[in-house]
Amino acid sequence: MKKLLAMLLVLCLALSLVPMAFAADEEITLWTYPIGKWGDEAAVKELTDAFTADTGIKVKVEYLAYADGDDKVNTAIAAKNTPDLIMEGPERLVANWGANGYLVDLADMLDDQDRAEILSGALTPCINADGVMYEYPLCMTAHCMAINKTAFEEAGALQYVDLENHTWSTENFKKAVAAVYDYFGETVGAVYCAGQGGDQGTRALINNLYGGKFTNDEHTQVTWDDPNNIKAMAELLELEGIEYDASLAGGDEIAKFYQGALKMAFCWNSVQQANPNAAGTGEGLTVTGDEIAYMHFPTESGEPAELCGGIWGFGIFNNGDDAKIAAAKTFIKWMCDSEHTKDAVLTSSFFAARTAAEGTDLSALFDSELMNEYSAKMLPYLGDYYNVIKGWAAIRTEWWNMLQEIGHGADIAETVAAHQAVANAAAAA
Amino acid sequence: MNKKQGLSRALQRREDVAGYLFMAPSLIFFIGFVIIPMFICVGMSLTDATLHNAAPTRFVGLKNFITMWTDKTFLGALKNTFLIVVVSVPVTCLFSLWVASATYKMHNVPLSLFRVIFYLPVVTGSVAVTVVWKWIFDNYSGILNTVLKTSGIIQKNINWLGTPGLTIWCIILILLTTSVGQPIVLYISALGNVDQSLVEAAEVDGANNLQVFWRIKWPQIMPTTLYIIVITTINSFQCFALIQLLTQGGSDTNTVMYYIYYTAFKMTEQAGHFGYANAMGVILAIFIGILSAIQFKLGSEK
Repeated sequence: MKKLLAMLLVLCLALSLVPMAFAADEEITLWTYPIGKWGDEAAVKELTDAFTADTGIKVKVEYLAYADGDDKVNTAIAAKNTPDLIMEGPERLVANWGANGYLVDLADMLDDQDRAEILSGALTPCINADGVMYEYPLCMTAHCMAINKTAFEEAGALQYVDLENHTWSTENFKKAVAAVYDYFGETVGAVYCAGQGGDQGTRALINNLYGGKFTNDEHTQVTWDDPNNIKAMAELLELEGIEYDASLAGGDEIAKFYQGALKMAFCWNSVQQANPNAAGTGEGLTVTGDEIAYMHFPTESGEPAELCGGIWGFGIFNNGDDAKIAAAKTFIKWMCDSEHTKDAVLTSSFFAARTAAEGTDLSALFDSELMNEYSAKMLPYLGDYYNVIKGWAAIRTEWWNMLQEIGHGADIAETVAAHQAVANAAAAA
Repeated sequence: MNKKQGLSRALQRREDVAGYLFMAPSLIFFIGFVIIPMFICVGMSLTDATLHNAAPTRFVGLKNFITMWTDKTFLGALKNTFLIVVVSVPVTCLFSLWVASATYKMHNVPLSLFRVIFYLPVVTGSVAVTVVWKWIFDNYSGILNTVLKTSGIIQKNINWLGTPGLTIWCIILILLTTSVGQPIVLYISALGNVDQSLVEAAEVDGANNLQVFWRIKWPQIMPTTLYIIVITTINSFQCFALIQLLTQGGSDTNTVMYYIYYTAFKMTEQAGHFGYANAMGVILAIFIGILSAIQFKLGSEK
């Protein structure tokens, strides 16, 4: 009896090892930030299952949040436990983890055809000054602002807006704010500064009002003390109806705009326009059914603004395992440069970073008037991707703290100078 | 005789081994997750360590400890932390004592009801409590602004969570709601255990309520008070979740605990950030240690 039991145990042990033998197939890990539905487990599983069926490479996915994703990655770097693949933008992949030597150069994945197909505005930020490519871009968008069209109409402010081209001048912006404020008597728009979330909106607003710059052309120093920026900050502070709000971050501002409390939002893009506040209550509509119009940021001339972009793609952590790196490159090729790229881009809900991939046309992916119009009216105005400046995290912190202090009445020139000095110290470190 | 001694020694050894074995699981955790990290923290505070190990870590002596006294953000955070401690510790103790005094003689049902009401924020979890308070304090549609505006007390909305000098008091208020639950329960229990014969004897001798409280009850609940003061002080020094969830250190609400986290995990591009964060942790621990020691000393003298 004992012998029989022992044999059974040995048999169980042997059987338990069988799946391990099959599991010898390559498995890679992917950590992804919530970039459209790349943060949705069901949507990503469809893609990774198809990839596994095609290549035999298994993919284990971990979903990061923007609130603490960086903490997890940084802790993983310290513990030498990084994933094989990570999905995010150049500010993290190129300027941070790439610059610190943790990522693999992907330049060998680019041939002349790829260089021709990938939009230069998307490719350039993925490659550092030395020609090392730390991110293979998949998708992109241009961030914009939005107005509550219904409220503007009620307040007689639509006359200041060119809805055909989605543009307006700084002067008309001020008149529109005044008209809406006079009509409703409440805050029209918020220069939100509770944190760094969605700060591309406040950056683009301040830079575009009078043509100021966020950094120099070389991306080595911030240039917040540009007189055009100072003038913009001062005018926004004076403008009745605009409030520097230290209790709101970008996400909160979107929610307030969606609820109708604010009549304009500076944190907006195509995905928000298609599904405001991710609430599923209708394209281009607030919760109360007011119409939303997406807009360029106002410029002095009334020409289209220089928009901040979002460029997302994949980077590979160098974990010293050539087989894993090769498998990760296969994954990137499959997602970013194959007939499957269309699905990968659609999952992101943003626009393709290239015009075609291995013969598949990606220029008009969406069967949506909104997305096609947005693509034509906004994407061409993607501005300088200065986010790749060194010390980006510290620089963003200085930006929103600076806005808070200005909003609380501190001297603008002195405050800007003080925060710029700290930001530039971070950029130079 | 020798055989007996040998046997008792063996028994003693067995008991010792059994005792240590019972202690082992918590001891391993305590050493692994408290003692060793504590030494690592002190060691790191003397280096320019970063979370990224791209550059080799160097010993920098007391540089981090000197730097922090010229770091305006740290000094601001320290000022706020002390403000929170100085306000919330006495208010928590006095409020808890007042509620406990008013309720401990009640019948079981209302007493339990009060215990539940005051203990609810403690068991609800800081995130949920904070979200509710965020709604209450909302600048645009918060219930507080709505009530104040409707009743004509204010004309324009007040930005409770976005105004320096005001927001820190809102945070202290929220902290109080989450801090008083446990002290109230402890005081109710302590007051219930006060020797009634002494109270009655004092009353017979003509002592008034204040004298009974101050001469009879207060000395007997002193150990509970000491425990509450020490725990509340430590919790107040470690105020983090509220700041993280409500202001991220903005509107002049930064605390040392939040700044440590921010420096350690968000400022990863900054040279020596991890060593600096550890140094701040050491200073915070020293402050907590000194205050706790003073409290114990004063408590034992009393």
